[in-house]
Amino acid sequence: MLADPSFRKGLRDSVLIFFAVGAFGLAYGVLAIEMGFPIWLAILSSFVILSGAAQFAMVGLISAGAFPVILAATGLGLRHLPMSATLARLIGDQPAGVRVRLAYVLVDETFGLALRAAAHNDVDDIVAYKSAADVTLLAGWVIGTGVGAWLGGTIDPGQVGIGVLFGLLFLGLAIPMVTTRRDWVVVAITVVATVVAVLILPVAWQITSAAVVASLVAVFSGE
Amino acid sequence: MSDLALVLVVGVITFGSRLAFLISPRPVPEGRVGRFLDVFSLALFMAIATAGLVAPEGTPAITPGLAAAAGGIVGGIVFKRSLLGVLAVGAIAFYVVRALAGS
Repeated sequence: MLADPSFRKGLRDSVLIFFAVGAFGLAYGVLAIEMGFPIWLAILSSFVILSGAAQFAMVGLISAGAFPVILAATGLGLRHLPMSATLARLIGDQPAGVRVRLAYVLVDETFGLALRAAAHNDVDDIVAYKSAADVTLLAGWVIGTGVGAWLGGTIDPGQVGIGVLFGLLFLGLAIPMVTTRRDWVVVAITVVATVVAVLILPVAWQITSAAVVASLVAVFSGE
Repeated sequence: MSDLALVLVVGVITFGSRLAFLISPRPVPEGRVGRFLDVFSLALFMAIATAGLVAPEGTPAITPGLAAAAGGIVGGIVFKRSLLGVLAVGAIAFYVVRALAGS
């Protein structure tokens, strides 16, 4: 697979993601230990869930009980449905094993990379390209989690500004997608919807609700 | 519910939502559903970015996160929409303004 130019390009393009996701994984590892997870469970959760949003929500809400955690995971999972449909459209006919593998790492960062590569016709084989980015992301996330869990309470994620760097990463993924007047309208509506959602909704529903509302407004306003 | 069981349940929910449309080939959605899918990714990424930059502490406020947003946009323009440009200029703006603000 390393001989595949698309796979190699995927590895090159996702190097930054390794470090960015690794930093967030580190923050998650620290938080998970603070919330009482043993090191092995913190690392296992990154393998099993592989979702920064769901995992941060889990450790943030775990003291409130299982139900709020499950509700948050469901709310956050809703955003995967359109991503899943979009990726299915992007990859065309593929064996079930490939679809399951791609679903396992259907994560915002590599999804964004794959979309960008497809939009710019940068690669011949989008499955190989995304698979390489998935490997990089998985490695960054799990290694970061392990390091964070090992360091335990010696690092303050807030001091590093993890939340802001997380926002910047997604701004960087969004900017290349803004090419038409409709895209600018979607951006404007989303910013307003997100600020409103942050003010009135529980954390678990803010991002999904804002994105869905902004998309619906754009669709039904003819943009 | 034990922590391990909770991790597994959250994992199943997350994986199930990711697999929903990928598990079997289906007709490509057209019309409004298709347009929704076209714009949803951009809206999702902007929502995550806005929440992290405008309300890093959970409520909208004037913080160095706004400088990071402005820096990121400038970086995106100067470096021709490069992800690295957005991250680098945004992070520099964030740390400089935070240092100047003494926070």
